[in-house]
Amino acid sequence: MRGFRTLAPPLVALALILATWEVLARALQIPAFLLPPPSAVARATLAELGDLALAASVTGRAALYGFLMSACVGTLVAIAMSSSRILERAFYPYTVFLQTVPIVAIAPLLVLWFGAGLRSVMVSSFIVSVFPVITNALSGIRSVEPALRDLFRLYGASRLSTLTKLELPAALPAIVTGLRVAAGLSVIGAIVGEFVAGFSESGAGLGIVILSSYRQMRTDLLFSAVLFAALLGLVLFGAVNLAGHLLLSRWHPSARNP
Amino acid sequence: MTLSKLALVSLCALAAALPSCSKKSAEPPRGAAVVLALDWVPEPEFGGFYAARELGAFGRQGLDVEIRGGGAGAPVVQLVAAGQVQFGIAGADEVITARARGADVVPIYATFQTSPQGIMAHAARGYKTLGEVLKSGTLAIEPGVAYSAFLKKKYGGFGATLVPYDGGVARFMTDPALAQQCFVTAEPLAAKKKGGDPQVFLVADEGYNPYAAVVIVKKSTLTDHPDWVKGFVTAAREGWTSYLATPAPTNAVMQKLNPSMDAETFASAAAAEKVLTESADTTAHGLGAMTRARWETLGNQLADLSLVLKAPPVDDYFVALP
Repeated sequence: MRGFRTLAPPLVALALILATWEVLARALQIPAFLLPPPSAVARATLAELGDLALAASVTGRAALYGFLMSACVGTLVAIAMSSSRILERAFYPYTVFLQTVPIVAIAPLLVLWFGAGLRSVMVSSFIVSVFPVITNALSGIRSVEPALRDLFRLYGASRLSTLTKLELPAALPAIVTGLRVAAGLSVIGAIVGEFVAGFSESGAGLGIVILSSYRQMRTDLLFSAVLFAALLGLVLFGAVNLAGHLLLSRWHPSARNP
Repeated sequence: MTLSKLALVSLCALAAALPSCSKKSAEPPRGAAVVLALDWVPEPEFGGFYAARELGAFGRQGLDVEIRGGGAGAPVVQLVAAGQVQFGIAGADEVITARARGADVVPIYATFQTSPQGIMAHAARGYKTLGEVLKSGTLAIEPGVAYSAFLKKKYGGFGATLVPYDGGVARFMTDPALAQQCFVTAEPLAAKKKGGDPQVFLVADEGYNPYAAVVIVKKSTLTDHPDWVKGFVTAAREGWTSYLATPAPTNAVMQKLNPSMDAETFASAAAAEKVLTESADTTAHGLGAMTRARWETLGNQLADLSLVLKAPPVDDYFVALP
Protein backbone atom coordinates (compact mmCIF):
# COMPACT_ATOMS: atom_id res chain seq x y z
CA MET A 1 0.00 0.00 0.00
CA ARG A 2 2.78 2.40 0.88
CA GLY A 3 4.60 1.42 -2.34
CA PHE A 4 1.50 2.26 -4.32
CA ARG A 5 1.15 5.64 -2.61
CA THR A 6 4.75 6.56 -3.45
CA LEU A 7 4.63 5.30 -6.99
CA ALA A 8 1.18 6.39 -8.07
CA PRO A 9 1.57 10.20 -8.14
CA PRO A 10 4.65 10.31 -10.39
CA LEU A 11 3.23 7.64 -12.68
CA VAL A 12 -0.08 9.44 -13.04
CA ALA A 13 1.79 12.68 -13.69
CA LEU A 14 3.88 10.95 -16.36
CA ALA A 15 0.81 9.50 -18.06
CA LEU A 16 -0.87 12.90 -18.05
CA ILE A 17 2.16 14.66 -19.50
CA LEU A 18 2.63 12.04 -22.22
CA ALA A 19 -1.07 12.07 -23.12
CA THR A 20 -1.14 15.87 -23.35
CA TRP A 21 2.01 15.87 -25.46
CA GLU A 22 0.63 13.21 -27.82
CA VAL A 23 -2.70 14.96 -28.23
CA LEU A 24 -1.13 18.39 -28.73
CA ALA A 25 1.43 17.09 -31.23
CA ARG A 26 -1.34 15.52 -33.27
CA ALA A 27 -3.91 18.28 -32.91
CA LEU A 28 -1.47 21.07 -33.78
CA GLN A 29 0.12 18.92 -36.49
CA ILE A 30 3.58 19.68 -35.21
CA PRO A 31 6.03 18.16 -37.72
CA ALA A 32 7.76 15.12 -36.23
CA PHE A 33 11.21 16.54 -37.04
CA LEU A 34 10.50 19.48 -34.72
CA LEU A 35 8.80 17.59 -31.89
CA PRO A 36 7.89 13.94 -32.29
CA PRO A 37 4.90 12.62 -30.33
CA PRO A 38 5.68 10.12 -27.53
CA SER A 39 4.32 7.29 -29.66
CA ALA A 40 6.96 8.00 -32.34
CA VAL A 41 9.68 8.13 -29.68
CA ALA A 42 8.47 4.80 -28.31
CA ARG A 43 8.55 3.26 -31.80
CA ALA A 44 12.08 4.55 -32.43
CA THR A 45 13.19 3.29 -29.02
CA LEU A 46 11.86 -0.19 -29.69
CA ALA A 47 13.30 -0.31 -33.21
CA GLU A 48 16.79 0.73 -32.06
CA LEU A 49 16.70 -0.85 -28.62
CA GLY A 50 19.86 -2.91 -29.07
CA ASP A 51 21.97 0.03 -30.30
CA LEU A 52 20.56 2.34 -27.65
CA ALA A 53 21.30 -0.12 -24.87
CA LEU A 54 24.85 -0.56 -26.16
CA ALA A 55 25.33 3.21 -26.39
CA ALA A 56 23.92 3.64 -22.89
CA SER A 57 26.35 1.06 -21.54
CA VAL A 58 29.29 2.93 -23.13
CA THR A 59 28.15 6.28 -21.77
CA GLY A 60 27.17 4.73 -18.46
CA ARG A 61 30.64 3.30 -17.96
CA ALA A 62 32.31 6.66 -18.64
CA ALA A 63 29.82 8.46 -16.38
CA LEU A 64 30.31 5.91 -13.61
CA TYR A 65 34.10 6.26 -13.75
CA GLY A 66 33.81 10.03 -13.85
CA PHE A 67 31.42 9.93 -10.91
CA LEU A 68 33.67 7.65 -8.87
CA MET A 69 36.63 9.92 -9.59
CA SER A 70 34.57 12.88 -8.44
CA ALA A 71 33.51 11.08 -5.28
CA CYS A 72 37.09 10.13 -4.35
CA VAL A 73 38.95 13.22 -5.49
CA GLY A 74 36.18 15.57 -4.33
CA THR A 75 36.10 14.13 -0.82
CA LEU A 76 39.90 14.04 -0.54
CA VAL A 77 40.17 17.65 -1.67
CA ALA A 78 37.50 18.64 0.85
CA ILE A 79 39.38 16.85 3.63
CA ALA A 80 42.61 18.56 2.65
CA MET A 81 40.96 21.95 2.60
CA SER A 82 39.17 21.41 5.87
CA SER A 83 42.46 20.65 7.55
CA SER A 84 43.84 24.09 6.90
CA ARG A 85 42.23 27.48 6.47
CA ILE A 86 45.20 28.57 4.37
CA LEU A 87 44.74 25.67 1.95
CA GLU A 88 41.06 26.38 1.73
CA ARG A 89 41.61 30.07 1.09
CA ALA A 90 44.27 29.28 -1.48
CA PHE A 91 42.42 26.64 -3.47
CA TYR A 92 38.69 26.97 -2.92
CA PRO A 93 38.32 29.78 -5.47
CA TYR A 94 39.82 27.50 -8.10
CA THR A 95 37.35 24.74 -7.39
CA VAL A 96 34.63 27.26 -8.18
CA PHE A 97 36.45 27.66 -11.49
CA LEU A 98 35.82 23.95 -12.11
CA GLN A 99 32.13 24.55 -11.78
CA THR A 100 32.10 27.39 -14.26
CA VAL A 101 34.36 25.74 -16.83
CA PRO A 102 32.48 25.70 -20.13
CA ILE A 103 33.08 22.03 -20.79
CA VAL A 104 32.11 22.39 -24.44
CA ALA A 105 35.01 24.79 -24.90
CA ILE A 106 37.67 22.64 -23.30
CA ALA A 107 36.45 19.24 -24.47
CA PRO A 108 38.45 19.55 -27.74
CA LEU A 109 41.55 20.14 -25.61
CA LEU A 110 40.82 17.02 -23.56
CA VAL A 111 41.08 15.05 -26.79
CA LEU A 112 44.47 16.59 -27.51
CA TRP A 113 45.65 15.80 -23.98
CA PHE A 114 44.15 12.37 -23.37
CA GLY A 115 43.28 11.10 -26.85
CA ALA A 116 39.82 10.16 -28.05
CA GLY A 117 37.76 7.61 -26.20
CA LEU A 118 36.93 6.58 -22.66
CA ARG A 119 39.68 8.53 -20.91
CA SER A 120 38.69 11.94 -22.29
CA VAL A 121 35.00 11.26 -21.80
CA MET A 122 35.63 10.17 -18.22
CA VAL A 123 37.66 13.30 -17.47
CA SER A 124 34.92 15.48 -18.96
CA SER A 125 32.42 13.73 -16.70
CA PHE A 126 34.72 14.27 -13.73
CA ILE A 127 35.26 17.99 -14.37
CA VAL A 128 31.55 18.61 -14.58
CA SER A 129 30.62 16.61 -11.50
CA VAL A 130 33.41 17.19 -8.95
CA PHE A 131 32.48 20.63 -7.66
CA PRO A 132 29.27 19.73 -5.80
CA VAL A 133 31.15 16.92 -4.05
CA ILE A 134 33.91 19.24 -2.85
CA THR A 135 31.67 22.03 -1.70
CA ASN A 136 29.17 19.78 0.09
CA ALA A 137 31.81 17.63 1.75
CA LEU A 138 33.70 20.72 2.86
CA SER A 139 30.65 22.37 4.34
CA GLY A 140 29.73 19.06 6.04
CA ILE A 141 33.14 18.78 7.69
CA ARG A 142 33.09 22.45 8.65
CA SER A 143 29.68 22.06 10.30
CA VAL A 144 30.78 19.56 12.92
CA GLU A 145 29.56 20.75 16.30
CA PRO A 146 32.32 22.68 18.09
CA ALA A 147 31.47 20.99 21.37
CA LEU A 148 32.19 17.59 19.85
CA ARG A 149 35.45 18.86 18.42
CA ASP A 150 36.38 20.11 21.89
CA LEU A 151 35.55 16.73 23.33
CA PHE A 152 37.82 14.98 20.83
CA ARG A 153 40.58 17.47 21.60
CA LEU A 154 40.07 17.02 25.33
CA TYR A 155 40.60 13.28 25.01
CA GLY A 156 43.69 13.90 22.92
CA ALA A 157 42.30 12.25 19.79
CA SER A 158 44.71 12.17 16.86
CA ARG A 159 44.00 14.11 13.67
CA LEU A 160 43.26 10.84 11.88
CA SER A 161 40.78 9.52 14.42
CA THR A 162 39.09 12.92 14.61
CA LEU A 163 38.68 12.68 10.85
CA THR A 164 37.44 9.09 10.68
CA LYS A 165 35.42 8.98 13.89
CA LEU A 166 33.97 12.47 13.98
CA GLU A 167 34.32 14.61 10.87
CA LEU A 168 33.55 12.12 8.10
CA PRO A 169 30.56 10.49 9.83
CA ALA A 170 29.17 13.92 10.67
CA ALA A 171 29.74 15.12 7.11
CA LEU A 172 28.25 12.01 5.52
CA PRO A 173 24.73 13.44 4.96
CA ALA A 174 26.27 16.48 3.23
CA ILE A 175 28.59 14.26 1.18
CA VAL A 176 25.65 12.15 0.06
CA THR A 177 23.81 15.31 -1.00
CA GLY A 178 26.83 16.35 -3.05
CA LEU A 179 27.03 12.91 -4.65
CA ARG A 180 23.35 13.06 -5.60
CA VAL A 181 23.97 16.26 -7.55
CA ALA A 182 27.15 14.80 -9.02
CA ALA A 183 25.31 11.68 -10.24
CA GLY A 184 23.20 13.58 -12.76
CA LEU A 185 26.03 15.91 -13.72
CA SER A 186 28.40 13.03 -14.44
CA VAL A 187 26.03 11.77 -17.15
CA ILE A 188 25.81 15.24 -18.67
CA GLY A 189 29.59 15.53 -18.58
CA ALA A 190 30.02 12.17 -20.27
CA ILE A 191 27.61 13.03 -23.07
CA VAL A 192 29.20 16.42 -23.74
CA GLY A 193 32.58 14.69 -23.68
CA GLU A 194 31.37 12.21 -26.26
CA PHE A 195 30.24 15.01 -28.54
CA VAL A 196 33.90 15.76 -29.10
CA ALA A 197 35.90 12.85 -27.77
CA GLY A 198 33.75 9.74 -28.11
CA PHE A 199 34.39 6.93 -30.55
CA SER A 200 31.75 7.15 -33.21
CA GLU A 201 31.88 3.81 -35.00
CA SER A 202 32.44 0.87 -32.70
CA GLY A 203 31.55 1.70 -29.11
CA ALA A 204 29.51 4.80 -29.88
CA GLY A 205 27.92 6.31 -26.78
CA LEU A 206 24.66 8.20 -26.38
CA GLY A 207 26.39 11.48 -27.24
CA ILE A 208 27.25 10.13 -30.68
CA VAL A 209 23.74 8.75 -31.16
CA ILE A 210 22.41 12.22 -30.33
CA LEU A 211 24.72 13.93 -32.84
CA SER A 212 24.06 11.41 -35.53
CA SER A 213 20.28 11.36 -35.17
CA TYR A 214 20.30 15.16 -35.17
CA ARG A 215 22.31 15.15 -38.40
CA GLN A 216 19.84 12.70 -39.92
CA MET A 217 16.87 14.69 -38.59
CA ARG A 218 15.74 11.59 -36.70
CA THR A 219 14.28 13.63 -33.88
CA ASP A 220 12.41 10.59 -32.57
CA LEU A 221 15.67 8.67 -32.11
CA LEU A 222 17.28 11.76 -30.59
CA PHE A 223 14.56 11.78 -27.92
CA SER A 224 15.10 8.06 -27.33
CA ALA A 225 18.78 8.73 -26.68
CA VAL A 226 17.91 11.58 -24.33
CA LEU A 227 15.52 9.24 -22.54
CA PHE A 228 18.29 6.70 -22.07
CA ALA A 229 20.61 9.42 -20.78
CA ALA A 230 17.95 10.41 -18.25
CA LEU A 231 17.61 6.77 -17.22
CA LEU A 232 21.37 6.55 -16.69
CA GLY A 233 21.20 9.61 -14.45
CA LEU A 234 18.33 8.07 -12.54
CA VAL A 235 20.18 4.79 -12.02
CA LEU A 236 23.26 6.56 -10.67
CA PHE A 237 21.09 8.81 -8.52
CA GLY A 238 19.22 5.77 -7.22
CA ALA A 239 22.47 4.00 -6.39
CA VAL A 240 23.70 7.02 -4.41
CA ASN A 241 20.39 7.22 -2.59
CA LEU A 242 20.52 3.54 -1.72
CA ALA A 243 24.10 3.76 -0.48
CA GLY A 244 23.24 6.88 1.50
CA HIS A 245 20.25 5.14 3.01
CA LEU A 246 22.28 2.09 4.03
CA LEU A 247 24.99 4.26 5.56
CA LEU A 248 22.76 6.75 7.31
CA SER A 249 19.46 5.09 8.16
CA ARG A 250 20.64 3.76 11.51
CA TRP A 251 21.41 7.11 12.98
CA HIS A 252 20.67 10.15 10.87
CA PRO A 253 17.22 11.77 10.72
CA SER A 254 17.61 12.71 7.02
CA ALA A 255 17.51 9.04 6.01
CA ARG A 256 14.94 7.80 8.52
CA ASN A 257 11.47 7.03 7.25
CA PRO A 258 8.73 9.06 8.88
CA MET B 1 6.33 37.10 -42.17
CA THR B 2 3.62 39.65 -41.46
CA LEU B 3 6.33 42.25 -41.02
CA SER B 4 7.76 41.57 -44.44
CA LYS B 5 4.30 41.61 -45.97
CA LEU B 6 3.67 44.91 -44.24
CA ALA B 7 6.92 46.22 -45.66
CA LEU B 8 5.88 45.15 -49.14
CA VAL B 9 2.44 46.67 -48.81
CA SER B 10 3.75 49.96 -47.51
CA LEU B 11 6.37 49.98 -50.25
CA CYS B 12 3.70 49.50 -52.90
CA ALA B 13 1.59 52.21 -51.31
CA LEU B 14 4.56 54.54 -51.32
CA ALA B 15 5.34 53.77 -54.94
CA ALA B 16 1.73 54.36 -55.94
CA ALA B 17 1.41 57.58 -54.00
CA LEU B 18 4.64 59.12 -55.21
CA PRO B 19 5.08 58.04 -58.81
CA SER B 20 6.88 61.19 -59.83
CA CYS B 21 9.04 61.61 -56.78
CA SER B 22 10.38 58.08 -56.64
CA LYS B 23 13.04 58.74 -59.24
CA LYS B 24 14.37 61.76 -57.42
CA SER B 25 14.58 60.01 -54.07
CA ALA B 26 18.19 59.40 -53.02
CA GLU B 27 17.22 56.49 -50.78
CA PRO B 28 17.16 53.23 -52.68
CA PRO B 29 13.85 51.44 -52.15
CA ARG B 30 13.99 48.87 -49.36
CA GLY B 31 13.03 45.44 -50.61
CA ALA B 32 11.24 42.61 -48.86
CA ALA B 33 13.15 41.82 -45.67
CA VAL B 34 14.25 38.20 -45.87
CA VAL B 35 16.88 36.15 -44.08
CA LEU B 36 19.45 33.80 -45.58
CA ALA B 37 20.63 31.37 -42.91
CA LEU B 38 24.10 29.91 -43.47
CA ASP B 39 25.13 26.52 -42.13
CA TRP B 40 28.62 27.71 -41.23
CA VAL B 41 30.50 30.88 -40.31
CA PRO B 42 31.12 33.45 -43.06
CA GLU B 43 33.67 31.82 -45.34
CA PRO B 44 34.51 31.89 -49.05
CA GLU B 45 32.00 29.09 -49.69
CA PHE B 46 29.33 31.79 -49.21
CA GLY B 47 31.31 34.48 -51.03
CA GLY B 48 28.84 34.92 -53.87
CA PHE B 49 25.96 35.61 -51.52
CA TYR B 50 27.87 38.27 -49.61
CA ALA B 51 28.96 39.72 -52.97
CA ALA B 52 25.34 39.85 -54.11
CA ARG B 53 24.49 41.80 -50.97
CA GLU B 54 27.49 44.13 -51.23
CA LEU B 55 26.89 44.81 -54.93
CA GLY B 56 23.24 45.59 -54.28
CA ALA B 57 22.21 42.71 -56.54
CA PHE B 58 19.64 41.51 -53.99
CA GLY B 59 18.35 45.07 -53.63
CA ARG B 60 17.84 45.39 -57.38
CA GLN B 61 15.67 42.26 -57.20
CA GLY B 62 13.51 43.81 -54.50
CA LEU B 63 15.10 41.78 -51.70
CA ASP B 64 16.58 43.13 -48.51
CA VAL B 65 18.62 40.08 -47.51
CA GLU B 66 20.04 39.67 -44.04
CA ILE B 67 22.76 36.97 -44.07
CA ARG B 68 22.88 35.09 -40.77
CA GLY B 69 25.97 33.00 -40.01
CA GLY B 70 25.68 29.60 -38.38
CA GLY B 71 28.02 27.02 -36.90
CA ALA B 72 28.40 23.27 -36.63
CA GLY B 73 24.95 21.73 -36.56
CA ALA B 74 23.08 24.96 -37.28
CA PRO B 75 19.48 23.81 -37.79
CA VAL B 76 19.11 25.55 -41.16
CA VAL B 77 16.71 23.08 -42.75
CA GLN B 78 14.48 23.13 -39.69
CA LEU B 79 14.47 26.95 -39.61
CA VAL B 80 13.47 27.15 -43.26
CA ALA B 81 10.86 24.40 -42.95
CA ALA B 82 9.37 26.10 -39.90
CA GLY B 83 9.21 29.40 -41.78
CA GLN B 84 11.48 31.23 -39.35
CA VAL B 85 13.86 32.19 -42.13
CA GLN B 86 13.03 32.43 -45.83
CA PHE B 87 16.26 31.17 -47.38
CA GLY B 88 18.83 28.70 -46.12
CA ILE B 89 22.00 26.92 -47.19
CA ALA B 90 22.21 23.13 -46.94
CA GLY B 91 23.82 20.16 -48.63
CA ALA B 92 21.78 18.37 -51.28
CA ASP B 93 21.74 15.17 -49.22
CA GLU B 94 20.38 17.11 -46.25
CA VAL B 95 17.58 18.41 -48.46
CA ILE B 96 16.54 14.89 -49.42
CA THR B 97 16.86 13.56 -45.87
CA ALA B 98 14.81 16.49 -44.61
CA ARG B 99 12.09 15.82 -47.18
CA ALA B 100 12.02 12.17 -46.17
CA ARG B 101 11.40 13.31 -42.57
CA GLY B 102 8.52 15.53 -43.61
CA ALA B 103 10.21 18.93 -43.90
CA ASP B 104 8.82 20.56 -47.03
CA VAL B 105 11.92 22.34 -48.31
CA VAL B 106 12.98 22.66 -51.95
CA PRO B 107 16.31 23.59 -53.58
CA ILE B 108 16.49 26.62 -55.84
CA TYR B 109 20.21 27.18 -56.46
CA ALA B 110 23.12 24.74 -56.32
CA THR B 111 26.31 26.69 -55.66
CA PHE B 112 28.82 23.86 -55.85
CA GLN B 113 28.41 21.52 -58.79
CA THR B 114 31.27 19.43 -57.44
CA SER B 115 31.01 18.82 -53.74
CA PRO B 116 33.98 20.41 -51.91
CA GLN B 117 33.67 17.69 -49.29
CA GLY B 118 36.85 15.72 -48.88
CA ILE B 119 38.94 13.68 -46.49
CA MET B 120 42.37 15.05 -45.73
CA ALA B 121 45.24 12.93 -44.53
CA HIS B 122 48.90 13.64 -43.87
CA ALA B 123 50.85 13.46 -47.12
CA ALA B 124 53.66 11.82 -45.14
CA ARG B 125 51.54 8.69 -44.83
CA GLY B 126 51.96 8.31 -48.59
CA TYR B 127 48.43 7.26 -49.50
CA LYS B 128 47.43 6.76 -53.11
CA THR B 129 43.71 6.23 -52.60
CA LEU B 130 41.04 7.17 -50.10
CA GLY B 131 40.45 3.50 -49.44
CA GLU B 132 43.92 3.26 -47.90
CA VAL B 133 43.28 6.30 -45.70
CA LEU B 134 40.18 4.70 -44.22
CA LYS B 135 41.99 1.48 -43.34
CA SER B 136 44.01 2.63 -40.35
CA GLY B 137 44.65 5.41 -37.86
CA THR B 138 41.94 7.80 -36.72
CA LEU B 139 39.29 9.45 -38.86
CA ALA B 140 37.53 12.57 -37.55
CA ILE B 141 34.13 12.85 -39.19
CA GLU B 142 30.77 14.26 -38.15
CA PRO B 143 28.58 11.39 -36.89
CA GLY B 144 25.60 10.76 -39.12
CA VAL B 145 26.72 12.52 -42.31
CA ALA B 146 25.61 10.72 -45.46
CA TYR B 147 28.99 10.49 -47.18
CA SER B 148 30.38 8.66 -44.16
CA ALA B 149 27.76 5.95 -44.70
CA PHE B 150 28.61 5.97 -48.41
CA LEU B 151 32.34 5.47 -47.78
CA LYS B 152 31.64 2.80 -45.20
CA LYS B 153 29.55 0.85 -47.67
CA LYS B 154 31.94 1.35 -50.57
CA TYR B 155 34.97 0.14 -48.63
CA GLY B 156 33.23 -2.47 -46.54
CA GLY B 157 33.62 -0.70 -43.21
CA PHE B 158 36.31 1.43 -41.66
CA GLY B 159 39.56 0.07 -40.31
CA ALA B 160 40.26 3.51 -38.86
CA THR B 161 38.87 4.55 -35.48
CA LEU B 162 36.11 7.09 -36.01
CA VAL B 163 35.88 10.14 -33.78
CA PRO B 164 33.64 13.22 -34.10
CA TYR B 165 34.99 16.07 -36.22
CA ASP B 166 35.48 19.15 -34.05
CA GLY B 167 35.45 21.86 -36.71
CA GLY B 168 39.15 22.67 -36.62
CA VAL B 169 42.55 21.37 -37.60
CA ALA B 170 44.30 21.41 -34.20
CA ARG B 171 44.05 17.66 -33.76
CA PHE B 172 45.24 17.09 -37.32
CA MET B 173 48.33 19.18 -36.61
CA THR B 174 49.30 17.15 -33.54
CA ASP B 175 48.33 13.64 -34.62
CA PRO B 176 50.19 12.22 -37.65
CA ALA B 177 47.80 9.24 -37.79
CA LEU B 178 44.67 11.38 -37.99
CA ALA B 179 42.67 11.99 -41.14
CA GLN B 180 39.63 14.24 -41.06
CA GLN B 181 36.72 15.48 -43.08
CA CYS B 182 37.27 18.81 -44.78
CA PHE B 183 36.00 21.26 -47.31
CA VAL B 184 38.73 21.37 -49.91
CA THR B 185 38.36 25.16 -49.77
CA ALA B 186 38.87 25.45 -46.01
CA GLU B 187 40.66 23.03 -43.68
CA PRO B 188 43.51 21.99 -46.02
CA LEU B 189 44.38 25.66 -46.53
CA ALA B 190 44.30 26.28 -42.78
CA ALA B 191 46.49 23.21 -42.15
CA LYS B 192 48.98 24.24 -44.83
CA LYS B 193 49.11 27.71 -43.33
CA LYS B 194 50.04 26.17 -39.97
CA GLY B 195 52.83 24.15 -41.57
CA GLY B 196 50.92 20.89 -42.09
CA ASP B 197 51.09 18.56 -45.06
CA PRO B 198 47.45 17.88 -45.96
CA GLN B 199 46.63 15.60 -48.85
CA VAL B 200 43.00 15.80 -49.93
CA PHE B 201 40.78 13.12 -51.42
CA LEU B 202 37.50 14.45 -52.80
CA VAL B 203 34.45 12.39 -51.89
CA ALA B 204 33.00 13.41 -55.26
CA ASP B 205 35.73 11.38 -56.98
CA GLU B 206 34.52 8.30 -55.11
CA GLY B 207 31.14 8.42 -56.82
CA TYR B 208 29.17 10.45 -54.26
CA ASN B 209 28.68 14.01 -55.42
CA PRO B 210 25.74 15.88 -53.92
CA TYR B 211 25.38 19.57 -54.77
CA ALA B 212 26.77 21.64 -51.91
CA ALA B 213 25.82 25.05 -50.53
CA VAL B 214 22.35 24.61 -52.01
CA VAL B 215 19.93 27.47 -51.41
CA ILE B 216 16.64 26.14 -50.05
CA VAL B 217 13.22 27.63 -49.45
CA LYS B 218 9.99 26.33 -48.01
CA LYS B 219 7.99 24.83 -50.85
CA SER B 220 5.13 27.23 -50.31
CA THR B 221 7.51 30.11 -51.09
CA LEU B 222 7.60 28.93 -54.71
CA THR B 223 3.93 29.80 -55.09
CA ASP B 224 3.58 32.55 -52.47
CA HIS B 225 6.62 34.57 -53.53
CA PRO B 226 7.81 33.44 -56.96
CA ASP B 227 9.38 36.89 -57.37
CA TRP B 228 11.60 36.30 -54.31
CA VAL B 229 12.80 32.99 -55.69
CA LYS B 230 13.47 34.34 -59.17
CA GLY B 231 15.09 37.47 -57.77
CA PHE B 232 17.26 35.52 -55.34
CA VAL B 233 18.56 33.21 -58.03
CA THR B 234 19.29 36.10 -60.40
CA ALA B 235 21.10 38.05 -57.69
CA ALA B 236 23.02 35.00 -56.46
CA ARG B 237 24.22 34.32 -59.98
CA GLU B 238 25.33 37.93 -60.32
CA GLY B 239 27.03 37.79 -56.94
CA TRP B 240 28.86 34.56 -57.66
CA THR B 241 29.96 35.70 -61.11
CA SER B 242 31.46 38.80 -59.57
CA TYR B 243 32.93 36.95 -56.59
CA LEU B 244 34.69 34.32 -58.69
CA ALA B 245 36.21 37.06 -60.87
CA THR B 246 37.19 39.52 -58.12
CA PRO B 247 36.79 38.04 -54.64
CA ALA B 248 38.93 40.58 -52.79
CA PRO B 249 36.32 43.24 -51.90
CA THR B 250 33.83 40.66 -50.60
CA ASN B 251 36.54 38.75 -48.78
CA ALA B 252 37.40 41.95 -46.91
CA VAL B 253 33.78 42.22 -45.77
CA MET B 254 33.58 38.56 -44.72
CA GLN B 255 36.90 38.68 -42.96
CA LYS B 256 35.57 41.36 -40.63
CA LEU B 257 32.81 38.91 -39.67
CA ASN B 258 35.18 35.97 -39.36
CA PRO B 259 38.57 37.28 -38.22
CA SER B 260 39.79 33.76 -37.39
CA MET B 261 40.50 33.20 -41.08
CA ASP B 262 43.28 35.36 -42.51
CA ALA B 263 43.14 37.30 -45.76
CA GLU B 264 45.54 34.98 -47.55
CA THR B 265 43.42 31.90 -46.77
CA PHE B 266 40.30 33.77 -47.90
CA ALA B 267 42.01 34.54 -51.21
CA SER B 268 43.29 31.02 -51.89
CA ALA B 269 39.94 29.48 -50.89
CA ALA B 270 38.09 31.76 -53.30
CA ALA B 271 40.51 30.83 -56.08
CA ALA B 272 39.88 27.13 -55.42
CA GLU B 273 36.14 27.54 -55.78
CA LYS B 274 35.96 28.38 -59.47
CA VAL B 275 36.26 24.80 -60.76
CA LEU B 276 33.82 23.55 -58.14
CA THR B 277 31.05 26.00 -59.03
CA GLU B 278 31.23 25.39 -62.76
CA SER B 279 30.01 22.42 -64.77
CA ALA B 280 28.60 21.60 -68.18
CA ASP B 281 25.19 22.39 -66.70
CA THR B 282 26.22 25.85 -65.52
CA THR B 283 27.76 26.61 -68.91
CA ALA B 284 24.43 25.78 -70.50
CA HIS B 285 22.04 27.21 -67.92
CA GLY B 286 24.04 29.61 -65.76
CA LEU B 287 25.61 29.30 -62.31
CA GLY B 288 23.63 27.39 -59.72
CA ALA B 289 22.03 25.11 -62.31
CA MET B 290 20.60 21.79 -61.17
CA THR B 291 19.46 18.77 -63.13
CA ARG B 292 16.68 16.37 -62.38
CA ALA B 293 18.99 13.43 -63.10
CA ARG B 294 21.48 14.39 -60.41
CA TRP B 295 18.78 14.82 -57.76
CA GLU B 296 17.35 11.47 -58.74
CA THR B 297 20.75 9.77 -58.50
CA LEU B 298 21.34 11.26 -55.07
CA GLY B 299 17.92 10.19 -53.81
CA ASN B 300 18.58 6.63 -54.94
CA GLN B 301 22.03 6.63 -53.35
CA LEU B 302 20.59 7.71 -50.00
CA ALA B 303 17.91 5.02 -50.24
CA ASP B 304 20.62 2.45 -51.06
CA LEU B 305 22.47 3.49 -47.92
CA SER B 306 19.22 3.12 -45.91
CA LEU B 307 19.52 6.74 -44.79
CA VAL B 308 16.01 7.27 -46.14
CA LEU B 309 13.40 4.54 -46.49
CA LYS B 310 12.86 5.38 -50.15
CA ALA B 311 13.97 8.23 -52.38
CA PRO B 312 11.44 11.09 -52.21
CA PRO B 313 9.79 11.67 -55.62
CA VAL B 314 12.01 14.16 -57.50
CA ASP B 315 9.11 16.04 -59.05
CA ASP B 316 7.86 16.95 -55.58
CA TYR B 317 10.83 19.20 -55.02
CA PHE B 318 12.86 19.67 -58.17
CA VAL B 319 12.22 22.93 -59.99
CA ALA B 320 14.18 24.02 -63.04
CA LEU B 321 15.92 27.33 -62.42
CA PRO B 322 13.91 30.31 -63.57
